[in-house]
Amino acid sequence: MSAPATVDLGSGVARTKIIGLGLLLLALVLVPLGTQVADQTWVTNSRLLQFTQMFMLITLASNWNLTGGFTGYIDFGHAVFFGLGAYATGILMTNQHAVQWPFWAALIVGALVAAVFAVMIGLPTLRLKGPYFSIAMLGTFVAMREIIRVSKPLTGGGVGLTLPPYLNRPLFYYLTLGLAVAVISLMWWIRRSEFGASLIAIREDEVGAEMRGINTTLHKITAFVIAGFLTGIVGGMWAYQNTFIDPDVVFVDSRTIDLVMMTMLGGLGTVAGPVLGAASIYWIRDVVWAAFFDWHLMIQGTLLIGIVLFVPTGLIGVFRRDRSGTSLLRLWGRWFDSRDDARPEPDTSPEDRAVDTTREP
Amino acid sequence: MDQFLQALINGVMLGAFYAAMMLGFSVIWGVMGVINLAHGEFIMLGGYITWVLNKGQILPGRLEVDWLKMEPFYALPLVMAIMFVVGYAVQRVLINRVVGKPHLVSLLVTFGLSIIISNALKLTCSADPRITETRFGGAWNLGNVTIPVTKTVILGLALVIMGSLWGFLNHTRTGKSIRAAAQNKQAARIVGIDINKIYALTFGICIAITAAAGTMISPTQAIDPFKGPPLTLRAFSITALAGLGSLPGALMGGLLLGIVESMIGIYVSGIGTNLAIVAAFVLLVVVLITRPQGLFGGLRPIQEAEQL
Repeated sequence: MSAPATVDLGSGVARTKIIGLGLLLLALVLVPLGTQVADQTWVTNSRLLQFTQMFMLITLASNWNLTGGFTGYIDFGHAVFFGLGAYATGILMTNQHAVQWPFWAALIVGALVAAVFAVMIGLPTLRLKGPYFSIAMLGTFVAMREIIRVSKPLTGGGVGLTLPPYLNRPLFYYLTLGLAVAVISLMWWIRRSEFGASLIAIREDEVGAEMRGINTTLHKITAFVIAGFLTGIVGGMWAYQNTFIDPDVVFVDSRTIDLVMMTMLGGLGTVAGPVLGAASIYWIRDVVWAAFFDWHLMIQGTLLIGIVLFVPTGLIGVFRRDRSGTSLLRLWGRWFDSRDDARPEPDTSPEDRAVDTTREP
Repeated sequence: MDQFLQALINGVMLGAFYAAMMLGFSVIWGVMGVINLAHGEFIMLGGYITWVLNKGQILPGRLEVDWLKMEPFYALPLVMAIMFVVGYAVQRVLINRVVGKPHLVSLLVTFGLSIIISNALKLTCSADPRITETRFGGAWNLGNVTIPVTKTVILGLALVIMGSLWGFLNHTRTGKSIRAAAQNKQAARIVGIDINKIYALTFGICIAITAAAGTMISPTQAIDPFKGPPLTLRAFSITALAGLGSLPGALMGGLLLGIVESMIGIYVSGIGTNLAIVAAFVLLVVVLITRPQGLFGGLRPIQEAEQL
């Protein structure tokens, strides 16, 4: 749990929190040295891999939270950017026809591919509202998996690609830790910037935001592209670390829903929420996975339903009462409320009354 | 020309199946405002129950009995009855808690349900693709065009199911109560309709129809626990195309998607079947952007329901 203090808004971050976070970061930086001091320590290579995966999930959940939590566009296909980053990196590094690219260059190009795709797909889909955007992105995700599968000359199709193996666990540990810290800092900065305030204004009332002079399309696309680019980087790193990619491994259905779950457990629309949620779910799942391998997905589904029904404000919302977290109910409830407020008087014609059937009186 | 005719026939048969398959999804959305992401998993559940009855697999993989082996199409009423009870119970326990809540809540809860169902199927029946055996096999040959018998039976069943649902919603007291609840919940309450009972009944009926689609698909395509999401996506596309709970719209939308997919499958060599799902998605996005109210009116137009 690397950045709980960032929940604090406006009033300045307390010195103790800075010191606490600094110590935590220092501890995390020192962890890989554990493999050097003795043969049998708590820190093993597989432990480093676990941490690496946790940092990746933290980064992904934070990115998802930028569109899902701050801007209020719940993206059910966010892993499409992860997949594009992974595949672009993989294709460039295993290039059979020309020179094979080094990891760094391939990684950057992979992230750029994801960012360009975010512009292309965001322009039509970000015009859709509520559940339509969610499902359109889910469709993008499913469609991309099939496109990758049929583009056989480029992607290897269902057989997949094997990247040059490079089993340097500490390197990936530091890479992902650095990326996670950078992304959390970026989100922290965005949350306080005018850009972030505009995103939240879009979430609260898109028409109102537009009337107050915010270029909503530009803001939505920018947020989407930032999230897509950073997710593409994680995808590329994951591909290199995993050394094998195929459509079913990269575009596994649970990849997006994990992020939604983590962000919601932590607290949607907060900087610390995704971090807290990703870290807790990762370790909880690690235990469940080890103990009940066959059952872990069912347990995960049950957990998802439980979180949605019983902890809608997330952990941040449970621990803090200052309402800095945005619960799902408030986020989506507000969407409907703002529509209602826009209407001068309650209309009793049958067509308009039909709107209310989706809501409790 | 023959090839085109063949693609058209296949498309019509596929389309009628799609229309029957998506009805439950569309009516649940129209009546209680819940987008059921577990829709495809309920289809698979219906398919697996049919498979159990067809193969006599009382404990899948462990206990097989010969006397049970039923013709899948004759098992249809039994599957629908079982799934009606399942649907009724699921609505009472789970879905009733999310009716009237924002869409994301119901999306996530039904997504959780879909994970649970597909993995429960995997644990009990394994992830192997399964197919049922029907005695309605073979094909009729008309010139160079082949008409498969099984798919013709499916086409007939799909039309019967759609016709019965239409008759039920328009000409019975319960059906009219369901439409009343969709149009105006308060007024329906005032005139003495028990909304919770109607919702549970609607969900049960819709899940029964959905499971019937699973029975219908099981002799022609292999079922496996993870085949649900593409079907859910297609159901969503057709609903967007058709309007909520609209039966003519469902038929037209289903036929359109079925024919498009079948044409792509025949004319794009080799990879066409994989691209069919891409066609469904492109259709969805284009319709949502250009005509968010759908092409046909329904229980209520989407744009009023969602205030797009």
